Amino acid sequence: MKDLSHRLSPEVLVLLVIAVAGGLGVLFIDALVAPPKLLFGRALTAITPSLFPVIILSAMTALAMLALILLRGTAGADRDAALTHGEWRRGFIFFAIMTFYALTMEPFGFLISSIIAMVLLSLQMGNRSVWQIALLSCVSPVLLYLAATRLLAVSLPELNVIELAYARLLGE
Amino acid sequence: MIEQFFTGFGMALRLDTFVMMSLGLFGGMLVGALPGFTTLMAMAILLPISFFLDPIVGIPFLLGIYKGGIFGGSIPAILISMPGTGAAVATSRDGYKLTQQGKSRKALDMALFSSVFGDTSSDIFTILMIFPIAFLVMQFGPPELFAVLLMSLVIIAATSGNNPLKALVMMMLGLWLSFVGTDPLGGVERFTFGLFDLKSGIPLLPMLIGVFAIPEVAAVVMRNEKTRQLSALMGERLSAAEFKRCLPTICRSTVIGTAIGIIPGLGQVVAAMMGYSAAKNASSHPETFGEGELEGVAAAEAANNAVNGPTMVPLLTLGIPGDNVTAILLGAFVAQGLRPGPQLFEEQGPIVFAILIAMVFCNLLFLVIGYLSIPFFSRLVTIKISVLIPLVIVFAFAGAYVFRSDTVDLLMLVGFGLFGILAKIARFDVMPMVMGFILGPEMEYAFGQTVAMANGDAFTFFLTERHGAFGVLLATPIFGFLLWKRMQKVTG
Repeated sequence: MKDLSHRLSPEVLVLLVIAVAGGLGVLFIDALVAPPKLLFGRALTAITPSLFPVIILSAMTALAMLALILLRGTAGADRDAALTHGEWRRGFIFFAIMTFYALTMEPFGFLISSIIAMVLLSLQMGNRSVWQIALLSCVSPVLLYLAATRLLAVSLPELNVIELAYARLLGE
Repeated sequence: MIEQFFTGFGMALRLDTFVMMSLGLFGGMLVGALPGFTTLMAMAILLPISFFLDPIVGIPFLLGIYKGGIFGGSIPAILISMPGTGAAVATSRDGYKLTQQGKSRKALDMALFSSVFGDTSSDIFTILMIFPIAFLVMQFGPPELFAVLLMSLVIIAATSGNNPLKALVMMMLGLWLSFVGTDPLGGVERFTFGLFDLKSGIPLLPMLIGVFAIPEVAAVVMRNEKTRQLSALMGERLSAAEFKRCLPTICRSTVIGTAIGIIPGLGQVVAAMMGYSAAKNASSHPETFGEGELEGVAAAEAANNAVNGPTMVPLLTLGIPGDNVTAILLGAFVAQGLRPGPQLFEEQGPIVFAILIAMVFCNLLFLVIGYLSIPFFSRLVTIKISVLIPLVIVFAFAGAYVFRSDTVDLLMLVGFGLFGILAKIARFDVMPMVMGFILGPEMEYAFGQTVAMANGDAFTFFLTERHGAFGVLLATPIFGFLLWKRMQKVTG
């Protein structure tokens, strides 16, 4: 078991996933690529839509397999670069906050979702100053929203009630 | 051409261009000066701002971030021996020793002056050379274009990291991702799994921010970095005599950086290392290098900044981004409706010249802003990371959203960010993947046209009708191998 975990370094795992994905891509290419458009029974292009992808996927699979073979002797040798338990935990929490932010930006609106994300990230980074967190997470999303929507004229998702409040605040 | 140059010169003299370039320079220096934050991250996050500005304002804004960021990276390298960018690693060797000797102000001044000298000289070279090269490229047909694109991808793989095989795998992955959406030749759906959001393909912006900016932020979060102590900015300013003594070294490094900038994939890190090594070899007192030698700082900084201009040559003439920063610039060009390639010079010649001339003006602003603001940026190395990380993330998400106003882009941003950090842990370079993704559609288009021209007999076609393309295809593996060996030697 220990030997297996030693051999299955992140490098080997990534190569394995790529090799398998490439192989499956070639195998099921007809299901993944729509058939070419025909005009009076003749194809409109010199190459079929699946030709170039098949070449690339085959090459990718072959190269990943070759890399796996060549890495056999060295896989797992660089154990110093491995992450600690704490680093993995911090990374997991960070991505969980980002996923939450991505999923809530539209239903909660930019301001509320940004405030929640900023508070969580500030706490994760070890900031314990309530005033600093409050100031940072409340002021910066408002300024960013106004800069984006009023100066650059681009849209960010926002709840109607908050958008109305901005309009009143700016006398629009 | 002369007429286009003067039209471009007039177009570059816009107040808003100068204002945005100054903001870009300031922003670039600010981010470069923060340990753990990079120019690449700043460009990826601020890229969407350029989409909503005029091309002659938005692209110089990004160039300002680029130039400012490369110099900004030398500030923590000199003051706390923590290079803000990879390009500043060579600078830190002598820069930090100078700080320890109480000469940090001299080192920073030398970094600024040699950066501006290297950058300006290479930008002028770029302006002089870009039109003849573009004219040559205009003679290319699909087979030549395909051969050159293939060669560029191989060069990028050969010069990316220690394992070219892994880089090639990543490149193939990027090419595969570029197939998602609608086929550029036949207009049929590929790899969409029936999802409506994938019909128009994977958007470039979430990918760029995801794989370049998010992993760097994640690395800071995972390492739980705080702030660092700064020893005060000390010593006298650089004297004219000291600059004059280093001038031959600066000129040599500028030539090295310019030559390296033209070749896709090599970039600032290699230029800085080569410039530093060349200065040490040519010196009559090589033993002082690494012990606080001003020439060491000058050599590395002039070389890494001289790369900036010439990287625009393959980008603008062939649409080939030489490194990850120019990949972001390509995104800005495409979003502005300017497709880099030989036809860009025919259709938008004055705009191209305006952007190139703006690069030279940017250096003059760089000198003034840099000189005045060194003390301010020097204090930034002590700023609290816990304040910066939430701001960077909100900027990244807002930037990824505004281009298409689609929540799917935010999920893609998180997905690519996750992929980027996993690739970092597994020691895969994501740059070849992005290059493959960007060049994929063009490569497939050129491939399809070449097959049509060859009438099913590609070998005879290349051998009898397309000698140039055939030569490039033959030279590609040899050139790639030689570059890989050279890279291994330079990076040790």
